[in-house]
Amino acid sequence: MQGSTRRAGVMTDVHRRFLQLLMTHGVLEEWDVRRLQKHCYKVHDRNAPVEKLEDFINNINSVLESLYIEIKKGVTEDDGRPIYALVNLATTSVSKMASDFAENELDLFRKALELIIDSESGFASSTNILNLVDQLKGKKMRKKEAEQVLQKFVQNKWLIEKEGEFTLHGRAILEMEQYIRETYPDAVKSCNICHGLLIQGQSCETCGIRMHLPCVAKYFQSNAEPRCPHCNDYWPHEIPEVFDPEKEREAGVSKSNKRPPRSRQH
Amino acid sequence: MSEQSKDVCDPNFAADASHPEVHSSPGVSGGPSPPASQAATLAGPDIPPVGTPDAPLASPQPQAPSEEGDPKALQQAAEEGRAHQAPSTAQPSPAPPAPAQLVQKAHELMWYVLVKDQKRMIIWFPDMVKDVIGSYKKWCRSILRRTSLILARVFGLHLRLTSLHTMEFSLVKALAPEELDRVALSNRMPMTGLLLMILSLIYVKGRGARESAVWNVLRILGLRPWKKHSTFGDVRKLITEEFVQQNYLKYQRVPHVEPPEYEFFWGSRASREITKMQIMEFLARVFKKDPQAWPSRYREALEEARALREANPTAHCPCNSVSED
Repeated sequence: MQGSTRRAGVMTDVHRRFLQLLMTHGVLEEWDVRRLQKHCYKVHDRNAPVEKLEDFINNINSVLESLYIEIKKGVTEDDGRPIYALVNLATTSVSKMASDFAENELDLFRKALELIIDSESGFASSTNILNLVDQLKGKKMRKKEAEQVLQKFVQNKWLIEKEGEFTLHGRAILEMEQYIRETYPDAVKSCNICHGLLIQGQSCETCGIRMHLPCVAKYFQSNAEPRCPHCNDYWPHEIPEVFDPEKEREAGVSKSNKRPPRSRQH
Repeated sequence: MSEQSKDVCDPNFAADASHPEVHSSPGVSGGPSPPASQAATLAGPDIPPVGTPDAPLASPQPQAPSEEGDPKALQQAAEEGRAHQAPSTAQPSPAPPAPAQLVQKAHELMWYVLVKDQKRMIIWFPDMVKDVIGSYKKWCRSILRRTSLILARVFGLHLRLTSLHTMEFSLVKALAPEELDRVALSNRMPMTGLLLMILSLIYVKGRGARESAVWNVLRILGLRPWKKHSTFGDVRKLITEEFVQQNYLKYQRVPHVEPPEYEFFWGSRASREITKMQIMEFLARVFKKDPQAWPSRYREALEEARALREANPTAHCPCNSVSED
């Protein structure tokens, strides 16, 4: 039952603790993941050399394979931060979250998801979501309540809020990409570069192809005259910077409002 | 136990053959035990105080009149379990599903339990049956066994029945006990810090902490009942509702006091998951004092630590207690 048949995946307490803590946190940024890995080695196998993160994770994934779960690596759509989450690959629809939320809350999420996917910008306004409150399945929900539920989604890292509008958190994209593609095959957008699911991004005004912001950053890096890879027309948008973890650390504590505040230990 | 009930699954299916250092977290009876003494093990320290009903999320539980440790209780739970689910008919038993299907159910259940635990929600057996096991109810024992095996081997976690009364399970770390994983990673830590603050206040007082006292302490952290906090949100809701729902705190009205006042106590889950020594260490850290600055509390913590060590032998020897004595 353990997936150690084909590959050489071996689970030690280092890996187990890593998995436990990754699961506990839901989703982690790469620097957190590295620290976590070091912590697990320190606790269980002080003298062993810390394996390269990629190999470490591949090792674990080979064991998780037969369980249909995986440590998936993704990238935040707005600023290209690498994130990791333990995801369930079996698509059993939004009921992936079912153990967390009530029926009407799940339905609210579904409605918000639909609005986000259908939108041009990848954002759905709070007003538009709240207007759908009467159509929810399950117990009747008031708008005030729905506002709080939306905040719950933000706290649990399913949605991101920006100036009264909501989009999908990187974690939701990681967990639900398959489900989203299967449920909204026509409305779903993809990135022209990485072909991954695209919620937020830039688009060519001539031919309409889309690209993730971090994909734009990488593709057009040090290119003075960015041009659309598809129709060769001039790329009209501002080219963002490639995410650099080193520069991040030098810059100090919190960069953008996406970063959770590093609170001191109590 | 396996002879008695078909529907209720073995609570103590410890699958830790591969773990040389099985060590349950404080408060939960440790190690695999022969079936005969399973009932006795359940009567151990892991039963939450049953005086007050401890499962606020669940609908009213069928009360088992006998003591928890009694094998009769298991029989009773089996009957109640059967009654709670669809009434059993006289139909011939359906053909057993393909092994692959049982395996898939076990995987689904594993994920379900992991997510519940991640959200710090109660893992309630009837919910497990309703949400995951469904029509495979009859094979829930083997499904549960497989799930616990996977959880132990891959995650180092033990799925334990922590309360037969309320049919609650919880995921317990099978790895060596550590101080609360102080990796200080964003989200979870602030909550724990806040909770520890309140728990340690209650502990130091030695009895319930009035809500006013708690707010005096939280003021140190800059928290007020009327102010929304950037990390915690509605703090009052968090501590009087969410932490209570998760069984980390109890929030009760002080009797005979007008106008009404409320006080906080440790919840059953806090008693299970957090040791007094951890509280002392927390206090020492926060106030930059030696834990022995609270001498009677420190003594209590030492005694609890000793009792825990004796109850949970570190070596994996089922019938052997390897205590210092």
